[in-house]
Amino acid sequence: MSDQPFWADEGYSARPRRVTGGIQINSTRGSVARTWWSARFIAVLEGLGVGGRLSRGRSYARAGQIVSLELDAGAVVALVQGSRPTPYKTRIGVPTWGKEEWGRAEQALADDAWYTATLLAGGMPPEIEELFAGLGLALFPAEQRDLSMDCTCPDFAVPCKHLAAVFYVLAERFDADPFEVLALRGRDRETLLANLRTRRGVTAAAAEPAAPGEGTPPLADTLDRFFSAGPSLDDAGRFAPAVTSPGALLDQVPELPVEIRGHRVTDLLRVAYHELHGYPQD
Amino acid sequence: MLWAEDGSRPSTTSRRSLRSARPHPFALPASALAGVHPGKQTMLTMLLPSRSSGPVDSPELVRVTPAARRSGELSLSPWSVPGVVVDPAELEDPAEDVRYGAAVPHRRAVARCAGVLASRGRVRPTLGHVGGRPEARWRPIVQGLDAVTRRALVEGLPPVARAEQRRGGDVAGRDPATLVDAALSTLTDAAVREQLGRADVPLDLVPRRRGRAPRSLPATEAWLGALTSADARFDAPEREISELAAALGAWDEVGTEETGPGRALFRLVEMRTLHDPADPAADEADQTGDGTRWVLEFQLQSTDDPSLILPADAVWAGNADRLIVSAQELLLAELGRAALVYPMLSSALRQARPAYVDLDVASAHSFLTEDASALVAAGFGVQLPAGWNGTRPIGLRLSTSSTPAPGVILRGGLGREELAQFRWAIAVGDQELGEEEIAELVAAKAPLVRVRGQWVSVDADALAKGLEFLKRERRRAAPPTAAELLAIAQGRGPETPLPITAVAARGWVGDLLEGTAERTLTPLDPPPGFLATLRPYQQRGLSWLAFLSSLGLGACLADDMGLGKTVQMLALEAHERAGTAPGPTLILCPMSLVGTWQREAARFAPMLRVHAHHGIGRPLGEALRQLLTGTDIVVTTYGTAARDIEELESLPWHRLVLDEAQAIKNSQAAPSKAARRITAGHRIALTGTPMENRLAELWSVMDFLNPGVLGAPERFRQRFAVPIERHRSDDAADELRRITRPYLLRRVKTDPTVIDDLPEKIEIRQEYRLTREQASLYRTVVDDMMEKIEDSQGIARRGNVLAAMAKLKQVCNHPAQLLHDGSPIGRRSGKVTRLEEILGEIVAEGDKVLCFTQFTEFAAMLVPHLSARFDQEVLYLHGGTPKKKRDEMVARFQSPDGPSIFLLSLKAGGTGLTLTAANHVVHLDRWWNPAVENQATDRAFRIGQHRNVQVRKFCCPGTVEERIDTLIESKKALSDMVISDGEDWLGNLGTGELREVFALGAEAVDDE
Repeated sequence: MSDQPFWADEGYSARPRRVTGGIQINSTRGSVARTWWSARFIAVLEGLGVGGRLSRGRSYARAGQIVSLELDAGAVVALVQGSRPTPYKTRIGVPTWGKEEWGRAEQALADDAWYTATLLAGGMPPEIEELFAGLGLALFPAEQRDLSMDCTCPDFAVPCKHLAAVFYVLAERFDADPFEVLALRGRDRETLLANLRTRRGVTAAAAEPAAPGEGTPPLADTLDRFFSAGPSLDDAGRFAPAVTSPGALLDQVPELPVEIRGHRVTDLLRVAYHELHGYPQD
Repeated sequence: MLWAEDGSRPSTTSRRSLRSARPHPFALPASALAGVHPGKQTMLTMLLPSRSSGPVDSPELVRVTPAARRSGELSLSPWSVPGVVVDPAELEDPAEDVRYGAAVPHRRAVARCAGVLASRGRVRPTLGHVGGRPEARWRPIVQGLDAVTRRALVEGLPPVARAEQRRGGDVAGRDPATLVDAALSTLTDAAVREQLGRADVPLDLVPRRRGRAPRSLPATEAWLGALTSADARFDAPEREISELAAALGAWDEVGTEETGPGRALFRLVEMRTLHDPADPAADEADQTGDGTRWVLEFQLQSTDDPSLILPADAVWAGNADRLIVSAQELLLAELGRAALVYPMLSSALRQARPAYVDLDVASAHSFLTEDASALVAAGFGVQLPAGWNGTRPIGLRLSTSSTPAPGVILRGGLGREELAQFRWAIAVGDQELGEEEIAELVAAKAPLVRVRGQWVSVDADALAKGLEFLKRERRRAAPPTAAELLAIAQGRGPETPLPITAVAARGWVGDLLEGTAERTLTPLDPPPGFLATLRPYQQRGLSWLAFLSSLGLGACLADDMGLGKTVQMLALEAHERAGTAPGPTLILCPMSLVGTWQREAARFAPMLRVHAHHGIGRPLGEALRQLLTGTDIVVTTYGTAARDIEELESLPWHRLVLDEAQAIKNSQAAPSKAARRITAGHRIALTGTPMENRLAELWSVMDFLNPGVLGAPERFRQRFAVPIERHRSDDAADELRRITRPYLLRRVKTDPTVIDDLPEKIEIRQEYRLTREQASLYRTVVDDMMEKIEDSQGIARRGNVLAAMAKLKQVCNHPAQLLHDGSPIGRRSGKVTRLEEILGEIVAEGDKVLCFTQFTEFAAMLVPHLSARFDQEVLYLHGGTPKKKRDEMVARFQSPDGPSIFLLSLKAGGTGLTLTAANHVVHLDRWWNPAVENQATDRAFRIGQHRNVQVRKFCCPGTVEERIDTLIESKKALSDMVISDGEDWLGNLGTGELREVFALGAEAVDDE
């Protein structure tokens, strides 16, 4: 049943061990990167001409073989479970920008709120590449030498399927949060936003508001009002307006893998949401 | 869990224990509590404010004997308290004589929150495990303002509600957030199931399976099924369950992310350009022609406190950070998200501290008409400038002012004098625009203009067409008919180039539109020679009918049964024929009412020449045509009309009247088709139930009266039937009422203006027809008995006459009563069928009825039949009912919730009882002794009766029932003689007379 040639490394011949609770990508078929910025990373990988390893790496990512993944300034370190008992340690390194380089980049971002606004809304304007290029900075790696890749597996090829799997997981991380791309270059989200705030001319947030209403008093301190409801109960009648279409929730959830007699489960559930929607409130 | 204090128990306890919880001295025992709110009895430990002698009273407790003032330090002590675990629904139904603590309304507030979340679809289906078994549950999604409500619930939880002590020594109390979340979760699941369960058709999400279901369902299918079933638990193979759980894991993430404590608010404002008037150069910034420009400002609005709104400048200056977490990043994120919905924003964001965007007139217009609603739909706030009111666009205004409702207008169309003020104008809201003003607007070609201080969006092309329309309408030769006018005013008229945004109708047109014409018309007196005295409400009904007739509008008179629709109709016919000859009116009615029309016309309006067109040998063709020249009213049945439709549709009818118009409720059935084919100058429908079951019936009647008034059937279904019947839409119901009210007049018995008018006792001769089976049995009995009577003499003959009498009455009741064979009731008796119809109306009205019969056998047949038919207990009192049982039955009938149908044997129930809960009395068969019948009637009609009583006496035309009824009526009229005792006098009649009394007439049988 193996699609491997007989001379293949022994690591290939055995099936990888199953990982419980491993990191798994949501994409179930086709390409993995959903956004242009994660596609830029995958493009580097796919330009390396290691075809078969890529598809096996994708299968690894889909099967959840990645035990852990840490993204830090300049590097992604992951443990990938192969066929051997000990997971392989893989590392993808990216050069970080220096302090002076980040200074330029942050000023450029602070001067044009559109970039941060788009990033915070979960997107990344393609113009950002040009913006940084104008400052002499490359946001994405262009070719293999822009990256360093290591894996403790016995495969001689670089990248191996384990590295490939990490790339795919990384791509989904980028899809979900474009700030991760910048974090890899040396500024995590919180630091970057704080720096931008400063550059916008405001000193770091003077004071965060106190966490509201936490810390329930012990019963013994409530004897004077033991039997009465708190005054806030009068506010309990405020509800968000019903602007969402019925079943909007169903558009946000991943489809279940099983269909029932050719019907998608979300479509079946939609009927219930429509019925609820017609129900008069109060 | 509920527990209660009892004010009659001692407030202190002498038992002392330092460690364990002592029994609560005045808690109500669980068994007593379960008597008020049933549930599972339990015992728990509660931490309560106490003094050394015992727990303190809750503020709700009322003591039988006031407790002595107690002293000592207040502290928290554990008490062992009995309680019951109740269903949440129990709390919606508070018991009297119980004062509920603050935790109960709190719990109701949680339930309300759950209900609102469910109906808004803020729920997520989940898979959980309880006791090792998988469960399908709906869980709430609480975000944004809903989260504010949840927090209010958590903070508002009275301490007593979290005072359960789960472990000894634990004195902090339970966590309010945990308790509220758990309750909200459970109640949301219950609310979703309840709301889905109330659907017309029980909701089943699982698609139907072909063939037999397997022994164990796949997990997904079982889970889906359990989401709507009463039981949330389900079974499936364990491996599939864990796969499903894994797949659903991602679903649980949805809606859990914090939406953030604020949202962007976009405020459109006009700013002065601050152009120096001395500067001769044009004002570049002037967008409005008034020295102002449009600006869209960015603001941040707090979710927790929507009244907290911060301008973007304040956010950038850092002033907002104390109030809203990460205000700057939040505003940026919101602006980034908004730019996806409203791309105009992107350019404004290309700076360090974006605070607003300038809009030119075209973008302001696009913002007002489209972008603003897109932003609102995406969850952003929008504030529009004062004076902008999207609901009042520029449109056509129709104003008619007519004279106050006149007595009666006797012309088809509206004359100029009646409608002098019919006028179209173009207006903004109620403000009409002059022609010059409009021409300027058209010429300006600006999409957004300020008209009389209000900003309005203008489509110059449509406006130009509107101007054309005005000019065309002004040249119009003939004024519109009333029907056209109502159609336009109700928005069902021909298409106009601009929407009709205002209708100002004064005078009678306004009265019609408001449905108040009946009250404002001058009540009409019936013409001289009309022998009935009309009650005031009937006079108003008459003038309403005459008024609509004069306008050529079809009218539906839908008064409650017993209010005299027939007499109002006859008065109208008599009124119209006083002095003129408008041609014959055709009345269609059920077979059983043909005689009623004839009789009532003869009695009240003897000047009307009435022809009953039915039965074999009815005149047709030329004979009918000839007959009509000397006839005012032709009464026929729906069945005959359908058969003779070729004849009837070619005749020139003055009016077509449908009595019991619900007969045409099915627009595709033969009677409806026939009724629609007949052309007449005017149409009237009489019905006590304009809509028996479905709105489609109302459509059918209204469409017959005024074709097209409710649109095509399919459109009607979409616009009214589905929203009203399925979604209980008030808006659609209001709209439907608005359209139908000019054509519909309905007075109900409970209407005080009608009650004051009414006589106290209304006697109705209730006609019905025999079935074929009854008719053939009837003939057999007559032949058989007449033979016996002829062959007998003296006392034997008398006996035979009375026996014949009894048998014929039995046949009229039901064939099975004569045959004594216990055969099923079915549809074999015309009397029983009619009785069911009448009882149906009475029960539907929530009224109560007494039914008298002299035959216990008949009553015994009816009791199980009627009780099954109306799905309720039917009381039955006869000579053999013991006194105790009798009293108990009377008491139950008199109680408001008691049974609504009471059968009584005439002899046993005719005297001594007080049954004033009934406002209907039905005499199923006749004793022909008015005194006996009146005595029975007076069970209901006596002191204590506050309503009018309707008395019905069953009578089949063409049978012994009718003959004797007529005989008695005529004798009563002659000498007011009292017929001594029942039917004895019959025995003295000669054989010839008897034959006449017994013979079966052709009209006795239903020919439908």
